Amino acid sequence: MSFPRAVAFLWAATWRNRIRRQLERLRKPRYLLGALVGAAYLYSVFFRRLDFRGSVGTVSEGVRLFAELSLVGSALGTLFAAWALGRDRPSLTFSETEVVQLFPAPVPRRALLQYKLVRGLLGTSLGALFATLFLGRTISPHPALFFVGACLALGTLYLHSTAASFVRTRLSAWGLWGQVVRWGSVGGVLALVVLAVFTSLREHPVPEDLSSGRALRGWLQALMASPGVAAVLWPGRLLVAPALAQSVGDFLWALPPVLALMAAHYGWVLWAEVPFEETAVVRAESRSRERMLRASGRMTRVGSLTLSRPPFRLLPRGRPEVALIWKNLIARKRMGGGFAVFLAFIILGGAIAAMMGDTRLFTDTRRVLGPVALALSVMLTVVGPSAFRMDLRMDLPKLDLLRAMPLTGRQVVRAQLAASSLALTSFQLALLAVALVLGPGVEASRLGGWWWPGGLALAFLLPAVSLSGLFVQNAAVVLFPSWVPADTGERARGIEAMGQRLLAVVGTLVVMLVGLIPAGLVALVVGLPASTLLGPWALPVAGFVAAGVLVGEVWLGVMALGHAFERLDVSEDRPE
Amino acid sequence: MDSVLRVEGLEKAYGEVKAVQGLTFEVAPGEVLGLVGPNGAGKTSTLRCLAGILPPSSGRILVAGYDLSRTPVDAKRALAFLPDEPRFFEYLTVWEHLNFTARLYGVEDWEERGRALLEEMELTGKEKSLPGELSRGMKQKLSIACGFLHSPKLILLDEPLTGLDPIGIRRMKASLRRRAEQGAALVLSSHLLPLVEELCHRLLVIAGGKAMALGSLEDIRARLSGAEGEHASLEELFVRITSAGTQAP
Repeated sequence: MSFPRAVAFLWAATWRNRIRRQLERLRKPRYLLGALVGAAYLYSVFFRRLDFRGSVGTVSEGVRLFAELSLVGSALGTLFAAWALGRDRPSLTFSETEVVQLFPAPVPRRALLQYKLVRGLLGTSLGALFATLFLGRTISPHPALFFVGACLALGTLYLHSTAASFVRTRLSAWGLWGQVVRWGSVGGVLALVVLAVFTSLREHPVPEDLSSGRALRGWLQALMASPGVAAVLWPGRLLVAPALAQSVGDFLWALPPVLALMAAHYGWVLWAEVPFEETAVVRAESRSRERMLRASGRMTRVGSLTLSRPPFRLLPRGRPEVALIWKNLIARKRMGGGFAVFLAFIILGGAIAAMMGDTRLFTDTRRVLGPVALALSVMLTVVGPSAFRMDLRMDLPKLDLLRAMPLTGRQVVRAQLAASSLALTSFQLALLAVALVLGPGVEASRLGGWWWPGGLALAFLLPAVSLSGLFVQNAAVVLFPSWVPADTGERARGIEAMGQRLLAVVGTLVVMLVGLIPAGLVALVVGLPASTLLGPWALPVAGFVAAGVLVGEVWLGVMALGHAFERLDVSEDRPE
Repeated sequence: MDSVLRVEGLEKAYGEVKAVQGLTFEVAPGEVLGLVGPNGAGKTSTLRCLAGILPPSSGRILVAGYDLSRTPVDAKRALAFLPDEPRFFEYLTVWEHLNFTARLYGVEDWEERGRALLEEMELTGKEKSLPGELSRGMKQKLSIACGFLHSPKLILLDEPLTGLDPIGIRRMKASLRRRAEQGAALVLSSHLLPLVEELCHRLLVIAGGKAMALGSLEDIRARLSGAEGEHASLEELFVRITSAGTQAP
C-alpha cells in the first residue's frame, strides 16, 4: 500500500470508528437526549440562519469596512508573527502516535511533509467553516463564497507560516549572520510600514471629533485609500478579497491572484524544506506531557505557575480539613489569573469608552467606577460559581488522593466548598465596598436613604447566593459524574456531549432557583413587617435572614453530599 | 502480637466483574507481605480497598484495630498508600506537599522529619520544585516521603520501584526494610519477583481475584507436591500457581 493510500485509509478508518462509537453511545438514553438537545441547539443558533443557496442581501458599508480591517489586520498580524515571534524551528507538529508510527516507516521526508500540509490545510478549512458559521452571514451576502475565500486565505497563511519557519531554521543555522539577515529584513519592512503609515497620517490626521461613527468611517476610508497605507494593506486585502466579495463576479475577479499566491507558497514550502524530525519529536513529547498533566486534573503548564507565597502559614496542629482550604487557596493564587483578566476588562472597557468619545471615565472616575464595581459584584454571583473552581470540580480527578486522606466525606466537601467560597466572597465584598464608597450614594436623590441599607443587604445576600451556586455545581459532579464531568482537561466531544453539558447547565440553574425560593419567602415574611419599624434598614435584616436560610440549605446539603462522596465509585475505578 | 492489618472475606465487584473474591489474610507488625499475581489478578483493586479508596463490595478490613468501613478516619490515619503512578497537586511545591500532609495527619515535628526524609530520598534542594519539574523517579520518591512522614503502622505499596534508578532501588529496599524493622507492616505489590523474594516474609498469590497461595516461600514450596517443587524458584512457583488458577473453571 502506498503512503497516500495508507493515510487515506487511516483517516477514513478513524472517522468511521469515531462515528460508529458515537452512534453506539446513542443507545444510552442520556447520550441520545444529549444528542437531540445538542442538534436542536446547533440548528437554532447556526444552521437555521444559514442559506448557501444564494445572496442573502447587502452588507452595510460600515460592517464591510470593519470586517475588511479586522481580516486584513489578522492576516498581517499572522505574517508578522511568522517572522518575528516564536522559536527558530520548523512549525510542523506531529502527535506522539504519528512520530512513533510514521517516522520509522519507509516513507521519505517529502511525503511526511505533504501529509502534514494536507492535515494543516484540512484544519484551516475547518476554521474557515466555523468562521462562516459564526460570521459569514454578517459580513458577506454569499456565505458559500465567504467559506471558499476563507479556506484560501487561511490556507495561504498556514503555508506562509510553515515556509517562514523553515527559512528561519535555515537562517538560524547560519549563526549571527543569519540573525542579522532576518532581523535586518524584518526591521526594514517594519520601518517601511511605519514610514508609510506616518506619511499617510500627515496627509489625513486624526480628526478632533470622532464621536460619530460616520466621522470615524470617513477618516478610515480616506486613510486606507492613501498610497502609503494602501501599499501596507495590499497583501492582506489581496488575500481576503475573495472572502469579502459582494458578488459572484467580484469573487471570480479576486480568485486568480489568491490561487496563484497559494500555489507560489506551496512551491516555497517545498523549496525551503528543512529536517523537521528532531523538533517534531521534542514537541510531540512536550504535548504528550501536557496532556498527561491535564488528564491528572488540571490544564496547566508547569512553566505557567508562579510560586507566590501561600495565603497563610499552615500549622501542623488543628482541624485537618484546613489543609484542603490552604491547598485550594494556593491553587487560586497560582493558577487563577483572575486579577489580570479583571484588570484587562477594566482597561479594555475604558479604552472602548474613550474611543466612543465618552470621557466621563476620566472626568468623573468615582461616579463611573462605583456602579461598575456594583455590577461586577452582582455579576460575580452568577458567573463566579462557574469561574472559581478550586473545589471538587478541580480535585475529583484525583479521587484516589482525596479518598486516601484521613478525612470524612463531609470534611472533604466542606473544605472544598469553603476555599472557592472564601475566594469568591472576598472578591464580591471588595467590589461591593468599592461600589458603596465610590458610588453615587446618598448624594443621588433617587437612592437617598436606601444606599447603605441596600449595600449591607447585598453584602449578606450575594456571598450566600454564590455559596449555594458553588454547592449545586459541586453536588452535580459528585452525584452525576457522567453528566457533569470534573475538570480533567479532556472534554468529551460530539453533539451529544454538548447537549449533555447544556442540559447540565439548565439543571443546575433550576436547582439553584428552587433553592432560592424558601430564602425569598422567609425574607419577605421577615422583611415586610420589619420595614414598618425600620424603614430602609429592614433590607439588611431581610438579607441576613435570607442568607441564613441559604447557608442552612447548603449546610444540610453538605451533610448529604459528604455521604454521597464517601460512596462515590467513579467509572475510572476499573479492575487493573 | 495483634495484627496491624486483618482482612476478612474481602470482595470487590465492578458491575458484573468480580475483581476480588473472598480474600482473607493478616499482616503482623514488622512483617512484609508480598502481593503477586498476573495482570488483571486484582492486586491494585485489593490495595485500593485496603487504603479506603474503593468501598469493598463485602468483607471486613481492620487497620491497627480500626474497622475501615466504620471508623475510616482512624484507620486511614494509621496507614500510607503509595500508588504505582504517584499523583500530586501540581501547584504545590515539594515542601508544601510535606506541610499539607503534616496538617492532615497532625505531625508536629514535620519539618525535622521532612528534611530527614528528603535527604533519605535524595530530594534535598528540590524543596521549591513543583511536581511537574520532577522526573518520574523523583515523583516516586516524593510520594514515599509524604507517605512515610506520619510514621504509618501499615504501608501499602503498589510497584514501589517503578522509575527508580539502581541506586534509588537499593536505597528504597533498605528504607522499606528499616520501616519493617521499626514495626511497620508492609503490603507490597510488584511484578518484580526478585524484589518480592528478597523483601517479603510471606506471599499472597492471587489470580482472577482469588487467593491461590498464602504463606512463606518455603511453605508454598513445601505445599507443592513433587520433587520439582522443593527447589523451584519463585518465578517457577508463580507460573505454576497462576497457570493453575487461570485454568481453573
